[in-house]
Amino acid sequence: MLKNYFKIAIAVLRRRKFFTFISLFGISFTLTILLVLTAFIEKVVGDNYPDKKRDRSLYVSRVSQIGKNTTSSGPPSFYFLSHYAGSLKTPVKIAISSGFSGTNTYVNNKKIAVNYKYTNAEYWDILEYDFLEGKAFNKLQVDNAEKVAVISEDMKKEYFGDVPSVTGQYIEADNVKYRVIGVVKNVPITSYMTYSDIYLPYTVDKSGGYKSNKSYQGGYFGILLANSKDDMDKMHNEYEQMVQRLPVEGKQFDHVYSHADTYVKSYVDSGDENHSGTFIAVTAISIFVFILMILPTLNLVNINITRIMERSSEIGVRKAFGASSNTLVYQFIVENIILTLLGGVIGVILSVVALQVINSANLIANLQLTINFTVLFIGLLVCLVFGLLSGVYPAWRMSKLNVVTALKAQ
Amino acid sequence: MSNHLNQDIMFKHLFKLIWNKKKQNFLLMSEMLVSFLVIFAVFTLMVYYYNNYKKPIGLDYQNLWVVDYNNTYNTKNTDSLNSYYENLRQTIKSMPQVKEISFCSDNVPFSQNQWTGDVHYKNASPGADQYLAEDSYVATLNIKLVEGRWFNKADAVAKIQPVIINEDLKEKLFGNDEAIGKLVGSEANKNDMRVIGVIQGVKAKGDYAPAKAAIYKRTDTGSFHWLGKIMIKVTPDADAAFEGKLYKTLANYMRSSNIEIEHMPYKLKSTNLFYVVPMIITLIVACFLVINVALGLFGVLWYNINKRRGEIGLRRAIGASGQSVSSQLVYESLILATLSLIVGIFFAVQFPLLNVFDLKAGVYIVAMILSIIFIYFLVFVCSLYPGRQAAGIYPAVALHEE
Amino acid sequence: MIHLNNIEKVYRTDTVQTLALNSVSLDVAKGEFLSIMGPSGCGKSTLLNIIGLLDEPSKGEIRIDDQKTANLSDKQLAAFRNKKLGFIFQSYHLINDLQVLDNVELPLLYRSTTAKERKQLATEALAKVGLSNRVKHFPNQLSGGQKQRVAIARAIVGRPEIILADEPTGNLDSAMGNEIMDILIQLNKQDGTTIVMVTHDENMAHKTHRLVRLFDGSQVQ
Repeated sequence: MLKNYFKIAIAVLRRRKFFTFISLFGISFTLTILLVLTAFIEKVVGDNYPDKKRDRSLYVSRVSQIGKNTTSSGPPSFYFLSHYAGSLKTPVKIAISSGFSGTNTYVNNKKIAVNYKYTNAEYWDILEYDFLEGKAFNKLQVDNAEKVAVISEDMKKEYFGDVPSVTGQYIEADNVKYRVIGVVKNVPITSYMTYSDIYLPYTVDKSGGYKSNKSYQGGYFGILLANSKDDMDKMHNEYEQMVQRLPVEGKQFDHVYSHADTYVKSYVDSGDENHSGTFIAVTAISIFVFILMILPTLNLVNINITRIMERSSEIGVRKAFGASSNTLVYQFIVENIILTLLGGVIGVILSVVALQVINSANLIANLQLTINFTVLFIGLLVCLVFGLLSGVYPAWRMSKLNVVTALKAQ
Repeated sequence: MSNHLNQDIMFKHLFKLIWNKKKQNFLLMSEMLVSFLVIFAVFTLMVYYYNNYKKPIGLDYQNLWVVDYNNTYNTKNTDSLNSYYENLRQTIKSMPQVKEISFCSDNVPFSQNQWTGDVHYKNASPGADQYLAEDSYVATLNIKLVEGRWFNKADAVAKIQPVIINEDLKEKLFGNDEAIGKLVGSEANKNDMRVIGVIQGVKAKGDYAPAKAAIYKRTDTGSFHWLGKIMIKVTPDADAAFEGKLYKTLANYMRSSNIEIEHMPYKLKSTNLFYVVPMIITLIVACFLVINVALGLFGVLWYNINKRRGEIGLRRAIGASGQSVSSQLVYESLILATLSLIVGIFFAVQFPLLNVFDLKAGVYIVAMILSIIFIYFLVFVCSLYPGRQAAGIYPAVALHEE
Repeated sequence: MIHLNNIEKVYRTDTVQTLALNSVSLDVAKGEFLSIMGPSGCGKSTLLNIIGLLDEPSKGEIRIDDQKTANLSDKQLAAFRNKKLGFIFQSYHLINDLQVLDNVELPLLYRSTTAKERKQLATEALAKVGLSNRVKHFPNQLSGGQKQRVAIARAIVGRPEIILADEPTGNLDSAMGNEIMDILIQLNKQDGTTIVMVTHDENMAHKTHRLVRLFDGSQVQ
């Protein structure tokens, strides 16, 4: 029976090549756009280089103080993280790093833009960078404010050129010479909490902000590492309780807010206490996807109805010879699913091509998008949804066709 | 019968036809409606960007650099702080490639920094970008003064703080009235600032965003405690070698500060990307959607002709020319489009009426007109070929098939 | 075999009411070959559709093979048609996307048969109508007469007890029309299939067992 459905479906699709083309075009291109979007989100959210212990880490990226008329919100200071977050019992280690800042280096009359970042020693224990050369700085070097640096692959190439090893050589940034002690694999800028060209011990910060700034807000991020996944809730709650006991820093404020959240929540945190960043991000993406899909779906529904009406005499004949309405609806749905799966396959091929193009255009340095199983699975799901959505209404219309009318209609 | 009378009767006849078949055409009209709304959104964005793009940028960003530093000169003594920075100013100004220099607040044009506050005048209290600037600011950035004057040394002892506003803020506060000399307040019921000049707006967020309301205040002797940027106008021959020298000079003078030198044209490009990239993505997606709809329209119209072979054959038999049959199809499609557009316009017109997103009504209206023209054009093109097919149907063949 | 009692059919629209059949009663015996004749608009096609369970009467009772059909569900009706009825239409209504053999197999798809059985039955049916050499062709490669023969093969492939033919020779010239008539007569004689045929053609009608005339929805004699 299924084989017959299949045979008829293929025959119909081949006979009305134009309709088939329109449907395939709509499905495959919509799918391509969705797959590229999914690959991008999956990369940004799911990429876990160098953040391999993500399932037992919580991230602190914001401290807000809110009053009736005023809000002050921004990243926490070094003092906040080392003193307050550092007072917690559950975390085994705390990584503290600054956001990255830009500076320039002038070498051989060439200007090189450099992004640098300050970290503590624990940063390198929690995050697992791939070292192509050398190693990270340790606690002793941090305590001694040694002028050492870990640099990225790209930085090495840009500054030193194509040389085999640069460990031990000196790199100048912000008018200070640092000795290179390690080279790491690149991190794309979309992982903004761990991205940088140069990593330095926080103690070499000329401005000394890590010492002098004892207010809550500054320019640092924190990563709290738990002993195991089971400790995550405990760690989260301990942090919340600690924040609740903090006094405000001025009478224009009523309350201090700060959260130690999972990676995704932290990534989209906008500082708005009333609107979850995740919620906003998901809503925005959903609206975009909805608008993207509604026209092709409408189009497909239209085309499907047209296809059905065209074959009304065939439907009348089948009904006359004993096909029940249900049987015919099943056949039509099978046709639709075949069509959408075919469109899906084409869409996947187009996505692979599109991703190749995007990757080679290198729009965001080091961001390599890939199709993986998550992406593929979502693609198939979208296909099925498409097939059902665009087939349900036409199928319902078709099942209501009266035999006599259908036969006369030809 | 005159041609006009013919067409009029034709339209009434076609309109009747379509109205009777409105149920069948419901889906097609829904598709046209949704397409119109999507195109309307896209055009609104494009018109908005274009409107902003057309306006002058308001400053001369070529050969303009900005230095970012942190004030780490540790002293509570304002006098020594001032001489520290005046010394720096002289050093920089003496370099041959430096034409002008001005210290200013962190929120320079094309940066991510923002400092806003309300400006009060009578019942109005619009928000405005707040800038702290020196006397040399206008020359360094080459900002256009349209009324009044910029700050000068005499303003240091002015009793009421002199401020300069831009055209957008002037309109928001005073409408068409004179601005110079008026008193405005930093808080309600306060008159602590006097307007001494009006400048053309600076598009601080790049080419594609409008110049927001802005107010400029003069630096005073205590400002160096929190200023963190230096704008420098350089000669065209200022190259990387000079930049390196400038950098070294600054770094050696301000030993504990992080120094960064950026070029304004580059900052402009980065800021623009923030607007251009979403626009390009929107255009690509919209393009695909339009092609999809066009193909769908084409297919449905094609099927419709095949279905009505008998009707078309009949019309030919009773005397309609091939031309009239194909124009009939085109007219029918256009009427369908009109019905959808009427509903679409009803929705679209809510936007300017409700002042959504605070965009000027003109933007919406232009976008609406462009979208209407676009949809009509699309429908017209998609019905041309099927229409011509219809003209080729021979009555004898068509009627015989029945 | 077929029993119609006081069948009435009214077509209703918002404003107009048309009485297509007015109190028609008819009995068709098993194995009988019945013709129904009448001018255009007399209701003969409507009557055929009602007998074929493709349409419901507004009033009256139908019994086919001693089965009351009034209260059967859509599924039951479909199954009934599949088992007991076969149809032949004036404009053949073959499926152009399918080969001749597949067209003939069509009714068997809605029964539980294996593919082998289907192929065998279809081939036999085609042999009966003399089209064994056109098995792999598509309908648009056949002449009118050949198409109607395929339609007949399709109608008999499931060995139904009743065949309903609506102007089967209407689109054919006299030579082909005679051929078709001969096939139908043979089916009736050899297999004992009950046939009800609507026709315009007096000559064809007189070859059948009985003739019923309709005029304006009522039976006349």
